[in-house]
Amino acid sequence: MLKQWALVWWLALFALPAAAGAQVGEPAPPVSLPLLSAPAGQELSLASLRGKIVYLDFWASWCGPCRLSFPQLEQMRRELGPRGFEILAVNVDEQERDALRFLEELPVTYPVVRDGTGDTPGNYGILGMPTGYLIDREGIVRLVHQGYRKSDGEALRTAIVELLGESPR
Amino acid sequence: MEKNPALLALTSSALLLPAYQGVRADAPPEFVELGMRYSKYEEDDTKGSKTFGGNSQRFDIDAAQFHLLAPVADNWAVAVDVQWEDMSGASPWFVGQSIDGDPKVIMSGASIEDTRTEVSVTTRYYYDRGNAGLNYVHSDEDDYESNAIALDGSFNSADGMTTYSAAISTSRDDIDPTQGAVPTNTLHDNKDISSAWVGVSQIISKNAIVRFGLAYTYRDGFLTDPYKLRDRRPDERKEWAVSGGYRQYFMWPDGALHADYRYFDDDWGVASHTVNLAWHQNLGRSTQVIPFLRYYSQGEADFFANIADTEKRYYADDYRLSSFGAITAGLRVRYEIGNWAISAVGERYETDESWGVFSGDESPALLNYWRYSFGLDYVFR
Amino acid sequence: MKHLTCLFILLCLSACETVQPWERGTLARREMQWEPDRMEISLQAQINASKEASSGGQGAAGGGCGCN
Repeated sequence: MLKQWALVWWLALFALPAAAGAQVGEPAPPVSLPLLSAPAGQELSLASLRGKIVYLDFWASWCGPCRLSFPQLEQMRRELGPRGFEILAVNVDEQERDALRFLEELPVTYPVVRDGTGDTPGNYGILGMPTGYLIDREGIVRLVHQGYRKSDGEALRTAIVELLGESPR
Repeated sequence: MEKNPALLALTSSALLLPAYQGVRADAPPEFVELGMRYSKYEEDDTKGSKTFGGNSQRFDIDAAQFHLLAPVADNWAVAVDVQWEDMSGASPWFVGQSIDGDPKVIMSGASIEDTRTEVSVTTRYYYDRGNAGLNYVHSDEDDYESNAIALDGSFNSADGMTTYSAAISTSRDDIDPTQGAVPTNTLHDNKDISSAWVGVSQIISKNAIVRFGLAYTYRDGFLTDPYKLRDRRPDERKEWAVSGGYRQYFMWPDGALHADYRYFDDDWGVASHTVNLAWHQNLGRSTQVIPFLRYYSQGEADFFANIADTEKRYYADDYRLSSFGAITAGLRVRYEIGNWAISAVGERYETDESWGVFSGDESPALLNYWRYSFGLDYVFR
Repeated sequence: MKHLTCLFILLCLSACETVQPWERGTLARREMQWEPDRMEISLQAQINASKEASSGGQGAAGGGCGCN
């Protein structure tokens, strides 16, 4: 049995790029960052969301496809939030004011944290902007979503619903 | 070891969910864009000292441009560009020798009045590492019709730092010179133009990019100017152009420098240097002021002469094949408000033989002009 | 000339420290695009090509004109 799932994990690893960072089937690297426009640098961590299905979304004010993803993600959060789904958006803008300006145009109700240093996206091994990681209740990365096209909302929603249906360990 | 059903289930699920690990998503525009421009182009009168017959009005063009760009499905975009031009004025007919020995221009007597319409459609496909486009252009006016198609593609390197691009295009032009004002060199003819281009663009730093390009163009067919009295050009022309460009953003002034250079060479003996410089200055978040400068210098074609020798195999007195230098100075302003952008451009173009780096005879028909454009853009966010 | 160009390209490709995807904000600015205003460039290119002997340089050739 050990051989069986070891083989499967091996196959999974082969299918993935050699890049370090967050990979499907592996625990999501820890994230604990200050909330945007929160007093006294109040932080939010990924660990505090354990037990929920989390979509960790790396975004920036200058990323065009983010203008498509934000309204769709907000919609998904409103619909699936009560069932245990949360979105944690990580802004990587160098200037905080750029992020705030973007949110004025496209406000969202889910938490937005900030890392202007490049450490968190570096840890995750991001290969393009935007990148989203779908993380299950145990904190394991189940999906890496590169870029964002208009119809991506559908596919994402299906994946989230499937994970919501999984019984917790 | 005991079977661990939960762990197995976890593993199987991980493999079932698609993991699109694309490196760099090249994406179509998010929203539909619409743009229009109105331009006025006014050539200076040819001075009396340079013509037989006193001051002569030259060309005036009123042009309108329309642009539509729309994303289609997830991976496609379509662009439609339409251009209307209303042209009127006189053109140099030929250059003759005056009594005092200076070459002087004889302008076409009657005023030409013509309208040109051009429609261009491009479909573009975006995949994760680049995009490819197919373009068709149709241009129509009283005495000229052109149909062209082009295919282009670009490809990003794995780290997204380098982009390789290439394009090929071909066109077939039909020439039917308007009869009446001046005798023409042909009643009906055509020419084909084919070109190929390759380029590479490289990110140098967070603030700077550089690019290089190489282009080859082959023209074949009736290349003579149908309206010029003394004009007979080869029916083939091979052209090369090497170009380079640079863009750098400067944080403190909040502006970007644009520098471009092109070297052109052909088998007619024409060579040229073009330098373009522009400074994009941001004033707050809504306004941009862009002063620009262009320096151009070309050498004369082998068969150019002010007083064309009609005994020779090829000859032309067209100032456009003469040696001259040209300087353009202009200013562009852009103002963004909501989903709208308003822009205005003014530029002045002046030529002089002594400004060029190549030597040759100065044509009396060298021109200067003013150009103004006003634009409106809208993004359907 | 050709050799210098190749050398420069090679130097650039090898010497450039990778700019990470999250560091590309400045490069996304409008003023950092190769051609921020396509209609303007297209008009300028057309005027220049019809009043001078050179044409082309960047990108594919466009439609023709009855240049006078």
